[in-house]
Amino acid sequence: MTQTTPPPADPPAADSTGTRILVELENVNKHFGSFQALTDINLTIPERQVAIVLGPSGSGKSTLCRTINRLETIDPGGTIRIDGKPLPDEGKALARLRADVGMVFQSFNLFAHKSILENVTLGPIKVKGVKKAQAEKDAMGLLERVGVAQQARKMPAQLSGGQQQRVAIARALAMKPKVLLFDEPTSALDPEMVQEVLDVMVQLAREGMTMVVVTHEMGFARKAGDRVLFMDEGKVLEDTDPESFFTRPQHPRAKDFLGKILTH
Amino acid sequence: MRSIQNRPALAVIVALAALVFGGASLSGVTTLATAPSAAAATPAGAGQTYTIATDTTFAPFEFRDSSGELTGIDIDIMESIAEDQGFEVEWQSLGFNAALQAVQSGQADGVIAGMGITDERREIFDFSEPYFTGTLTLAVNEGDEGEITGFESLEGKTLAVKTGSLSEEEAKANQEEFGFELLPLDQTTTMVESVKSGNADALMDDYPIIAYGVEQGSGLVTVGEQIPTGDYGFAVNKGDNAELLAMFDAGLAELQASGEYDEIVNRYLGGEGEDDGVDRSTFWGLLVTSFPALMSGLGNTLLVTAISFALAMVLGLLFGFMKITRNPVLRGIAVTFISIFRGTPILVWAFFFYFGLPQLIGTNVNIWVAGVLTLTLNGAAYIAEIVRGAVQSVDPGQMEASRSLGLGYGKSMQRVVLPQAFKMMTPSLINQLVIMLKDSSLLLAIGFAELLYQAQQIYAANFRVTEVLLIVAVIYFVAITLLTQLANYVDRKVNK
Repeated sequence: MTQTTPPPADPPAADSTGTRILVELENVNKHFGSFQALTDINLTIPERQVAIVLGPSGSGKSTLCRTINRLETIDPGGTIRIDGKPLPDEGKALARLRADVGMVFQSFNLFAHKSILENVTLGPIKVKGVKKAQAEKDAMGLLERVGVAQQARKMPAQLSGGQQQRVAIARALAMKPKVLLFDEPTSALDPEMVQEVLDVMVQLAREGMTMVVVTHEMGFARKAGDRVLFMDEGKVLEDTDPESFFTRPQHPRAKDFLGKILTH
Repeated sequence: MRSIQNRPALAVIVALAALVFGGASLSGVTTLATAPSAAAATPAGAGQTYTIATDTTFAPFEFRDSSGELTGIDIDIMESIAEDQGFEVEWQSLGFNAALQAVQSGQADGVIAGMGITDERREIFDFSEPYFTGTLTLAVNEGDEGEITGFESLEGKTLAVKTGSLSEEEAKANQEEFGFELLPLDQTTTMVESVKSGNADALMDDYPIIAYGVEQGSGLVTVGEQIPTGDYGFAVNKGDNAELLAMFDAGLAELQASGEYDEIVNRYLGGEGEDDGVDRSTFWGLLVTSFPALMSGLGNTLLVTAISFALAMVLGLLFGFMKITRNPVLRGIAVTFISIFRGTPILVWAFFFYFGLPQLIGTNVNIWVAGVLTLTLNGAAYIAEIVRGAVQSVDPGQMEASRSLGLGYGKSMQRVVLPQAFKMMTPSLINQLVIMLKDSSLLLAIGFAELLYQAQQIYAANFRVTEVLLIVAVIYFVAITLLTQLANYVDRKVNK
């Protein structure tokens, strides 16, 4: 337990072993019009866990990831809690809670009109009220950590995809989030740049960051994952450890999925 | 002879305004240049200041010279008489109909505006002794004066006349005898142009107007004998200001006896010209003499555009955002506003704000207010669409990334989306600015003294339409080119 400021009314959730629960989904459903993207998701992710979300495209992995910081709203009746607190509706409270949940996007989404350094300092300065000098010092530390400190004064468009995605990770880390969400972070990268991004993610996992990672990188899932959630048609069909999933998949869809990606 | 047919521009405006707004009366057409001041009290005698109403432009009787000063035969005669008789004149340059109304309503003490003495007008006004005798004249291109010398040499030729005026009546009366074709046109300017372009061989119109045009280098010469049409007089409201009328008559007699009267008339019609050493008949002379007035017009054009564009930016941003909000009421307001002002001509709004609105609210609308309102609302509708398009073209991932950092919607817009949207919309905004600057010329229809209006005033007096328009086109082109360069420079500095 590392919590320093316990909220008065809402004590942090914990499972039976006393580990703090950071993300909790209860009866989560999501419709896009008549199409149901998520069906009855119930899920808890404890502190320091790296949960890998796998599944064929269109299975609802990205949607699941995006509901956790409310980039997608969920159908009424369901609940999502972050560190014990239900996700509020739009407004200041939501913005505050979002700062606790970092997000790394498939297409990086670096702010195109701001330098690399400004991308990383924007959140701390504008949301947390950190002084500019301090924010820049912290940002340089993070950029150093992801290996792009040399590029700090450049604009995003001047960087390679791999470098941009590492900046995006540094930007998310600058908010000191409790959880980091990765939505297919390497899918838009040229193959030779995938590894540099995965290396940073493996490092984060080792340092104990709580992560939810939507990915197709099986190597990463085996190496860094604590848990695999296999999704298809909006449902979580398997929820197990990586070793069991890759060696003894239970569900026929999971077997089929593994068969397709491991044979090519 | 003055009549409403002699003032087609005004007639067209009034007719249009009446068409658009049903009840637009002539009282809507006021204060084209000067606001009416309070009527001066008028006890008898010298030392008194009299408010004298006149037309805006009826060269050579009254018009504005290159420095914007009111000048002309009427003005000079009135001021010479005032000096002679020892009273002061305060001018109100209102437009012909408005000047007559100002006298009738007591807002002015008298009117001198190339006004023909008719029995109808005698019912309402008391007239002075005639100070000028109106005549009609024929005019032909320079070089044709040997060939065409009068009606008798017009057989088989085409004569331009003014629709509904005495020139048309006079020409019709002689048409059968001399066998020429008639080409009725509604403006002196058009008549002069049709002779210069060869569409007509000669024209017939009021002598002073044509003679002044010849003086100003119109390229025509007057031929044949002048045909008298009627006398011009100074007028006061019937039964009022008898002492002013008496002083005018006495002063006029003095001027005629001393020869000063002939001097004044010759100054405008006799080929003497303003004594400033500039030969007006050359292009250079035209450029030099018209430049100050055109520059003041350009100043007004730039100022009205600048004010309107600044306001249109504010409104356009507002409506642009309203159109992309999820609130259906705000969106509805924005959509309605945009479709109304994009779906209607600018001219309709100019007439509405200047002629229609005063009748709804019961008070005059300043011409700057009307002009700025017109350009602002029209520009805002287009800018709103530019803003909406630019904001929507920013990758939604930018907003998502910002919001997932914990920035609120407003801050994300302000810090992340808008700076990128502005960069994208700048070329369209510069384009809109240029369009607005050009559209501001439409305000001439309500008498706003912008660049093209000034040009019209100049060629209405000297008939050198092509040359004046050429000068104006070059001025617009240079101004817009410089403005575009400046905007692009700012764009590069701000949006690098």
